[in-house]
Amino acid sequence: MDRPEITCDYLGNARASSRLASALAHIAEQIIAFELAAFYNRRNRQRQIGKRILSGKLQIPLTPEQAAIAAAPPDTKIWLEGIAGSGKTSAGVGRLLRLLELGIPAESILIYVPQRSLAQPYLQALRRHSGYSGGQVAVQTIGGLSLQMVEAFWFLIAERAGFGHPHDLPNFLSLESVQYFMIKIIEPLVNQRDYFNSVRIDRARLYSQIVDNMNKAALVGFPIDQIAPRLKRALPGGVEQGHIYDDAQTCALAFREYCLANNLLDFSLQLEVFLDHVWNLPQAREHVRMRYRHLIADNVEEDNPASHRILADLLRLCQSALVIYDSDAGFRRFLGADPENARRLQGFCDAREQFADSKVMSDEGRALGRALAGQLVAALGGSAEDDPQPSLITEAHRYHPQMVDWAAGRIDELVNGQGVSPGEIVVMAPFMSDVLRFALVEGLRARDIRARSHRPSRALRDEPAARALLTFARLAHPRWHMRPAEFDVAFAVMTAIDGLDLIRAKLLTEMLYRDGRMLPFSDVKSGAMQDRITYELGARYDRLQTWLNNYIEGAPTEALDIFFRQLFGEVLSRAGFGFHDNRDAGNVSMNLVDSARNFRWSLEFMRRYEEGTDLGKDYLEMVDRGVIADFYLRDWIADNDDCVLIAPAYTFLLSNRAVDYQFWLNVGSEGWARRLYQPLTHPHVLSLGWPAGRTWTDDDESAMNRQTLGRLILALTRRCRKEIYLGYSELSESGYEQRGLLLEAIHGLLRRSAADNINGKARV
Amino acid sequence: MNLPDDFAFTQGSLQDAADCLRRFELRYIKRLRYPAVEAAPALQFERRTRQGARFHKLVQQHLLGLPAETLARSLHDDPELATWWETFRRTGLAGLPEQRQAEITLQTYLAGRRLTAKYDLLALDAGGEAVIVDWKTWRRVPAQSYLESRLQTVLYRYVLAKAGAHLYGAQIPPEKIRMVYCFVARGGERLSIDYSAEQLRKDEDYLLNLIAEIEGAEQFTLTEDESLCRFCTYRSLCERGGAGPLDLLDEDDELEEEDFVLDFDQIAEIEF
Repeated sequence: MDRPEITCDYLGNARASSRLASALAHIAEQIIAFELAAFYNRRNRQRQIGKRILSGKLQIPLTPEQAAIAAAPPDTKIWLEGIAGSGKTSAGVGRLLRLLELGIPAESILIYVPQRSLAQPYLQALRRHSGYSGGQVAVQTIGGLSLQMVEAFWFLIAERAGFGHPHDLPNFLSLESVQYFMIKIIEPLVNQRDYFNSVRIDRARLYSQIVDNMNKAALVGFPIDQIAPRLKRALPGGVEQGHIYDDAQTCALAFREYCLANNLLDFSLQLEVFLDHVWNLPQAREHVRMRYRHLIADNVEEDNPASHRILADLLRLCQSALVIYDSDAGFRRFLGADPENARRLQGFCDAREQFADSKVMSDEGRALGRALAGQLVAALGGSAEDDPQPSLITEAHRYHPQMVDWAAGRIDELVNGQGVSPGEIVVMAPFMSDVLRFALVEGLRARDIRARSHRPSRALRDEPAARALLTFARLAHPRWHMRPAEFDVAFAVMTAIDGLDLIRAKLLTEMLYRDGRMLPFSDVKSGAMQDRITYELGARYDRLQTWLNNYIEGAPTEALDIFFRQLFGEVLSRAGFGFHDNRDAGNVSMNLVDSARNFRWSLEFMRRYEEGTDLGKDYLEMVDRGVIADFYLRDWIADNDDCVLIAPAYTFLLSNRAVDYQFWLNVGSEGWARRLYQPLTHPHVLSLGWPAGRTWTDDDESAMNRQTLGRLILALTRRCRKEIYLGYSELSESGYEQRGLLLEAIHGLLRRSAADNINGKARV
Repeated sequence: MNLPDDFAFTQGSLQDAADCLRRFELRYIKRLRYPAVEAAPALQFERRTRQGARFHKLVQQHLLGLPAETLARSLHDDPELATWWETFRRTGLAGLPEQRQAEITLQTYLAGRRLTAKYDLLALDAGGEAVIVDWKTWRRVPAQSYLESRLQTVLYRYVLAKAGAHLYGAQIPPEKIRMVYCFVARGGERLSIDYSAEQLRKDEDYLLNLIAEIEGAEQFTLTEDESLCRFCTYRSLCERGGAGPLDLLDEDDELEEEDFVLDFDQIAEIEF
């Protein structure tokens, strides 16, 4: 496979553009995916039988090998490795309960994970076994730990860390705030000096890749002024490409300088301050040493070198430890995961244990995983005697909708024909586009099957409730000169008033939206038109219009979040309005309030150092530029219905949950294997293990793609108990032929099976 | 009854139930988020809430070993908070047992339900006193009877008696437990509430009845006392008026923000 082209006309290529958009959504969804594990693990089946550990109510079923891990003496440090589904986390849960049974205070036990949701099996085990009284187990990630520690010890390190106002509070930036300040600081540079002039991707993506580079530097542990040298050494793309890396370097340094001068901490700076300053403080070390005496670190292969460094220190400091490593994983590489570096933690453990057998997948599933992965990377393959076909069901189609219909039909057979629980089915694709998601949800709904999907990449501003609130904010603040379009006003009025359809909302707007202001319903002169709108809806409209006009004539607040809350509480959530007793509207409104408030707080903080910000207006402008809102775990926790899950493959994978049936759709898509196009950064070259001076070649790219897909296949099959359905259509959603690497592997497998049939080897 | 099996009762959720079952249902069963303004003027209310949170953080930092003088230098932007801090420095920890645990959470079970209590400070002497300290930044000191009836008082003492043995070295006799409310905005005035085995039994009965009422509720009735709706964000849903005036609310740190921490290590390249 060719090395990804760094092209100047990327945007002009419709197909590539479509792929780009999908890839972006994919990445955003991957990030959220971790949060989903909270409720998936709740239903994760425990098939193991064997000993029960702990007396009384603190019991979980364990196999003998799991029980041995759990019962190890409380001063042992154990390294436990095994494939997904082999029962490692259950052993960890058993270990936790055993420690508590021994009377060890819960608050002295630290569960350390790459993502908080991955600690849910531990927390749920505690919650579900009533009878335990005492403290609470601590759960930490590198992000959470560094945030807490930097905040706690800030005044001891701020000066030596180089911050401009060491006696003021730090300002920890949300993702939105990072984007805001990045635009503020870097955009003038980009415009004045013509930076990145040969890169034709969206500005927002450029900035986010600069942030990504800084995060990688912090996670891996190299100075941010080494970003460009590292990239240039490994990715020699000529003078022009060298300039691009230099530009990215300059921007990163400018942003860092601004943050230091103004007490702003993005994630990369937060981590650097934690590792370079706080972690070296005797008080901080002592606090951690006294607090966390027993460590359970799970999924260390998904964590980054910064975490591994902290874990290595914790392993030295603590009394007991269990370090759990998932073989053939490391899927968070785009977030800095370094499974090779994680192995170094073995050296800090007294004992090494391995779980070899899956407690989840069938022999056929194992055979399928090995056979498919073996088509890509020989070392991942299994025995020639393996027969993958019994667990594999596939059907080829010409057109994409046929494939979607086929999948819905098969799910119908399973759920309505065989009584399979919808929660035991997951439908995956490398990217979950709106079109595919909609078609699947509707196809299943037509068959009376409930489905759910997560599209965290969907911007908050696209939600109807948020759109309405944002439009009203523009109407209510005429001095900002951000007058909304007529259609937006009609849409907002329709959303706000219960019972008002879009046609009548448009009529109302055409008649009553004048010069940026809404006029009263009495200004509708035509009686026929008043009848058509109805007086009841007209009265509601008047209530909204009066509120807005009173607000304008009063003292409008620049705190947009307060405006949203007032409008919500005093009008929109009242009976007769669209947000009344409306869970979705309430959630969206709350998220918008949180987003606007966090943004305001960051900017208010900055006012002590510089002037010229207009809080509400700046927020709306950021919305216009497409800044996504912060996303919130609570939205995802709430969604725990027993439904068919529709999700990108990595979303499902990183939920660390097994199901009976998996549907892999769009198996011809290149997205199953191909890396995201990133002209300013590179996850492998900026990793800890990349040798200085070595060049990234086409062979490296190809090998990496095959390895990534091979591992993905193994990981998915290890999370499937029964059958895998492969959905293929010759033409993609966009009408292009599909010939991705997964399809190539499937073809190879089918050819091999056909040959085996001819030679009489196959069992089918 | 749709309360999850692993639902944890806190002082906030229990107080909600005691005040208004309908509010409990909306917030914890239906999980309906309703971002109306709690108290007016909203920005002033926000400022008070943030001041209270910052004060608690200061105490936590101090108990982690940061010098009080260093922390005092950071308060140049908030004279009122600086005054509170001076009050704390003079009186905050005076007379408290030496073994101190700040921001610790304990849990126990009652009738199969988890009860959790997050303490500002636990100060204990093995075999001696076990003091629960709660910092209040309220502008006035309420009547002792009011505080005694609050679910915070009921729950915190009960949970410590049931779940604090590992901190104390043995089961804590209720008579050794004392809850101290410290009003830093009122010169550090303290209000102390003792405990006893008899009070523990009463509290347990009260909590059992309250939990049973919640679990057995076929209909979550709206409170008849409309004064309890003044600062409730669901008041528009229930058609119970507008935001209550801030000067009637002296419990700024009782209206808790939703507890949420975004993991910064989720952040990579994201569309914006």
